[in-house]
Amino acid sequence: MTVIAGIGFSAPWLLLALLALPVLWIILRAVPPAPIRRRFPGVALLLGLSDEDTVTDRTPWWLLLLRVLAVAAVIVGLAGPVLNPQRDAGGRGPLLILLDGTWAGATRWSEKQDLVAAQLAEAGRANRPVAVLRLTDPEAPSFQAADAWRSRIAGLTPAPYAPTQRQIDTMLTALDEAGTFDTHWISDGLDYDGRARVTEALQARGDLRVYQTGSAVMGLAPPVFDDGAIVLTARRSVAGPSRDVVILAQGRDPAGTARVLSTATATFEDGALEAETALSLPAELRARITRFEIQAQQSAGATTLTDDSLRRREVALISGREDREGLQLLSPLHYLHQALLPSAELLEGALLDLLPANPDVVVLADIATLSQAESEALAAWVEDGGMLLRFAGPRLAASDVSREDEDPLMPVRLRAGGRSVGGAMSWGEPKGLAPFAAESPFFGLSIPEDVTVNAQVMAQPDPTLADRVIASLADGTPLVTRKELGQGQVVLFHVTANAEWSTLPLSGLFVEMLERLAVSTATQAPSAMDLEGTTWEPVQVMDGYGALSEAGTRPGVDGPDLAEAPLGPELLPGIYESGDRRLARNVLTAETELMPATWPADVPVEGLGLGAERPLGGLLLTLALGLLAADILASLALSGRLRGQRAAAAALAMLALGLSLSMAHQGQAQVVADEDAALRATEELVLAHVITGDPQVDELAHAGLRGLGDTLRYRTSVEPGDPAGVNLETDELAFYPMLYWPVTADQPIPSAEAYARLNAYLRSGGLIVFDTRDADVAGFGASSPNGRRLQRLAAPLDIPPLEPIPHDHVLTRTFYLLQDFPGRYANRDVWVESAPPDAEQVEGMPFRNLNDGVTPVIIGGNDWAGAWAVDQSGRPVLPVGRGFAGERQRELANRFGVNLVMHVLTGNYKSDQVHVPALLDRLGQ
Amino acid sequence: MIPARDLRQRSETEASALPPLLARAEQLAGTVLLGDHGRRRAGMGDDFWQYRPAQVGDSRRMIDHRRSARGDQQYVREREWQIAQSVMMWVDQGASMRFTSAPGGKAALPEKIDRARLLGLATAVLLIRGGERVGLTGTTLPPRRGNMQVMRLAEFFTRDDAADYAPPEHRAMIPHARALFLSDFLGDMAEVRLALTKAADRGVRGVLMQVLDPSEEMFPFHGRTIFESVGGSIRHETLKAGDLRDRYKDRLAERKDELSRLCRATGWRFGTHHTGDSAQSALLWLYRALDGGTS
Repeated sequence: MTVIAGIGFSAPWLLLALLALPVLWIILRAVPPAPIRRRFPGVALLLGLSDEDTVTDRTPWWLLLLRVLAVAAVIVGLAGPVLNPQRDAGGRGPLLILLDGTWAGATRWSEKQDLVAAQLAEAGRANRPVAVLRLTDPEAPSFQAADAWRSRIAGLTPAPYAPTQRQIDTMLTALDEAGTFDTHWISDGLDYDGRARVTEALQARGDLRVYQTGSAVMGLAPPVFDDGAIVLTARRSVAGPSRDVVILAQGRDPAGTARVLSTATATFEDGALEAETALSLPAELRARITRFEIQAQQSAGATTLTDDSLRRREVALISGREDREGLQLLSPLHYLHQALLPSAELLEGALLDLLPANPDVVVLADIATLSQAESEALAAWVEDGGMLLRFAGPRLAASDVSREDEDPLMPVRLRAGGRSVGGAMSWGEPKGLAPFAAESPFFGLSIPEDVTVNAQVMAQPDPTLADRVIASLADGTPLVTRKELGQGQVVLFHVTANAEWSTLPLSGLFVEMLERLAVSTATQAPSAMDLEGTTWEPVQVMDGYGALSEAGTRPGVDGPDLAEAPLGPELLPGIYESGDRRLARNVLTAETELMPATWPADVPVEGLGLGAERPLGGLLLTLALGLLAADILASLALSGRLRGQRAAAAALAMLALGLSLSMAHQGQAQVVADEDAALRATEELVLAHVITGDPQVDELAHAGLRGLGDTLRYRTSVEPGDPAGVNLETDELAFYPMLYWPVTADQPIPSAEAYARLNAYLRSGGLIVFDTRDADVAGFGASSPNGRRLQRLAAPLDIPPLEPIPHDHVLTRTFYLLQDFPGRYANRDVWVESAPPDAEQVEGMPFRNLNDGVTPVIIGGNDWAGAWAVDQSGRPVLPVGRGFAGERQRELANRFGVNLVMHVLTGNYKSDQVHVPALLDRLGQ
Repeated sequence: MIPARDLRQRSETEASALPPLLARAEQLAGTVLLGDHGRRRAGMGDDFWQYRPAQVGDSRRMIDHRRSARGDQQYVREREWQIAQSVMMWVDQGASMRFTSAPGGKAALPEKIDRARLLGLATAVLLIRGGERVGLTGTTLPPRRGNMQVMRLAEFFTRDDAADYAPPEHRAMIPHARALFLSDFLGDMAEVRLALTKAADRGVRGVLMQVLDPSEEMFPFHGRTIFESVGGSIRHETLKAGDLRDRYKDRLAERKDELSRLCRATGWRFGTHHTGDSAQSALLWLYRALDGGTS
């Protein structure tokens, strides 16, 4: 493909035809526009007049230009121009397409896939074997035909980490064995360790060409809670012009639906790499946030997960009665205040007032006895998952709490009095702390030298004591004990919460111990040291796009690794859990800087935005057609055949042509038909029957409803219009108060959508009269084909329990007083919605106070439509019975129809006891 | 085809064209009769005009004894239209008259020939009602009176002439009669001049009416055009019709000038009518022009 000025031509020789354009210009110039013939009697006067201006027989220059342009467009169009032609990078032999495959490329991953596809296509054309590799998934390159790789493009996904050293080593080893090849390296634009080594190795193997997007990679550092606000820091790899990014705080709303809870806008200043914004949210909302992400960035780096550091625990601090005012440093709660204030919400007050607020932790500092109500409430709260943290003190030591029997709210039994060591009145030195045992939650914390204990309460040796000790003094006496209670736990520090008995509250260890106990939460990402000795289990892990998935059976991770180790296939970003604590490992840490990748000067770097090949031939030919169309108009105008209205008409015609090509008109007729049907159905009361597909049955149903309509019109104030046939699949049912549904044995079962609408119709007060027309529903249909079909038809319908129509059903008296409901067949049962079980007949009343509303279905088999049916002139269509008795039966059928429609229209009006006297009167009782 | 049948078919076709033309002509003439002319003549009768006292020089035979016997004065009974005038018409039936410029055809704007025939026939109706004798120039239809003559005129008016520009028929003109020539006068002026001088020689005076299509007056053409006469005998090609407009208009004005000069010289009257205008005003003008000639 020849490339001229960025546009490739598949048939460049055709462009030589452009040379003929000047000739064409001269030819066209010489040909005047065709004359128009006109009849004109006045021609006699024109004879002998000659044209003054002899130049006008030439075509005007602009028309010439138009035509020449059209021809030029045709020539260029036929020459097969292609915009963004995939240039042949040349080269022979194997080609390695190497992707970084890190999270940094996830946002524009599809472009990279397109690029790989384009490279594959080109290599396929050049018949080069190809291997596609990701640095984040190193393997030995296997050079295959390009087609073999094409189907695997979709399987290339970005990893949520940068290539680790181990991966790069693996890759280098694999490359060493692969012979010579050219490389196209599709870089994500972010630097990482070892990239230079790979570059060197690849350059040694053959040509290296790098494709890299010019736009900056964005990342989001973990949120920091500072001064009541969440501070979010967005970073970018390349300093550029000022830019706003929107950071979304996502989480679950109270209904449990994931949604954006809040947004914040961070602004990169011109030339700045970092943008900071603060998000101030109420604690409730803050606790629900699960992740922050940069809008319109789809990468793991632009997503940061939240963990306990944003979940501020509520800690209720309760101390004993203050003896003296103003001695702050002696207050049992002072050091707890200091330790917890940065990381927890502190509640203070009376215990019973605080418990309903459901704090996460209740701290009792040197409180010995609790009232009955308090201890019960506290025990219930602990068993529900609360954590009770107790500190010893003079009162506890002096009390009898948990002396003989273990108090439920104490982890151990205590010996009377406690002990004091290293004091003025005692022997020995103050005791230091023993190293924490491996099973202790404090395992891994380093113990400062200067932590000493002067006094403590002593635990009674018990069989369970060893299990409950989680920290002890150097001499083995328990310092901190813990026991599970229900879902919660009770922890006792055997020293005071102030510095009276020990220096523990003065040390950093105290804070760390509280963190480990999940009393407080770290305000900063924990360091490796903080996590020493812990094992963390992945709960959810993030992929390169920033999407979370369940961790499944991934192995646990050591605490220091979680904090410090670089991310890799063994350590994916995500949520990790240990005990009660949750930690989020994010791609970016607070310190991570996004360094743009830089390349040696001899490596050619191309932009990623190689547009797709775009053939321009069609466009140019269309342009030529348009120009020729314009030429038609212009020529007409020039030769005087296009004036005024005709010009407008011609222009309009061309416009209309264009519009009609682009516009699709559809569905107009359908809408009109629907509206007509709706108008017909709503202008008057319309009785409707379901179209069964059997024309005979449908006609009879129609005639039956017409007959019923006539009867209603003669006898009542209900004046229905022409009955309507309803197609359950397409027609709107809501317009019809009642559907008559004749059941045939071979009726098609309506679709699920039709049933959905039928159910909606029934629920909104519609009534369906099922008529099996075979006088056989008493045994409930199992015996007749129509009955079986009815069962199948009605199965998906939302129908309440049914019963044979009771003698006091409101249908028996809505207009006529009836006890039989014959159609063409008589004396068979009719089924309606059953009466509520609590309906009782009041003494002296003939009727029970039955269900409200209209029964949603009436099921019978008396072929009522057959009895109602009349032809156009009002004569009955079908015979009913014989002689006078038959006519009587038809009359009763009509009366049933009247009652039915009245029931549909008036509901349970006649069920009202107000009518009882009149009804009794009519009944002659 | 059997000649008789063919004849009959043709005649019926022709006859079917007659009644509309006649009817329209009668209708048009009726509007004039309802005007001031009609009132002037109402109740006067065709013959009697007035009694006037006998004067010296009046023949005794002219004295009306019935009136004179009522008194001492002798009266002469004067009659109007004592000698019916002969009015000879020539309506150009040439192909050039069968032209209308309207794109919608005859419905939008009548052909010139249609308008000329209408005006001619309407004038004839009026004149015949006035008791004149009306006929065509030439020998085909000598002037006669009576309604049958209107029918005959109408019949003659349905005959088209194949010639592109028909020369005025000037044969067999009755001396001292009146004449009415309706044409577009776009053809050879020599013929017109000949006819008029011949008429003037015989003491025939009359009216020339030039019936023109609006397009012939305006010349609204542009671009490269080949103009053809209706019969196709003459054609003229131009590359820029718009440029010819002014010169065409000059020529037309020149033609009109010449016609009116000719008319002045021969005692005729000259008028121009455009098919775009109302036929009634043209008829009024025609009638007055003819009337003016008689009184």
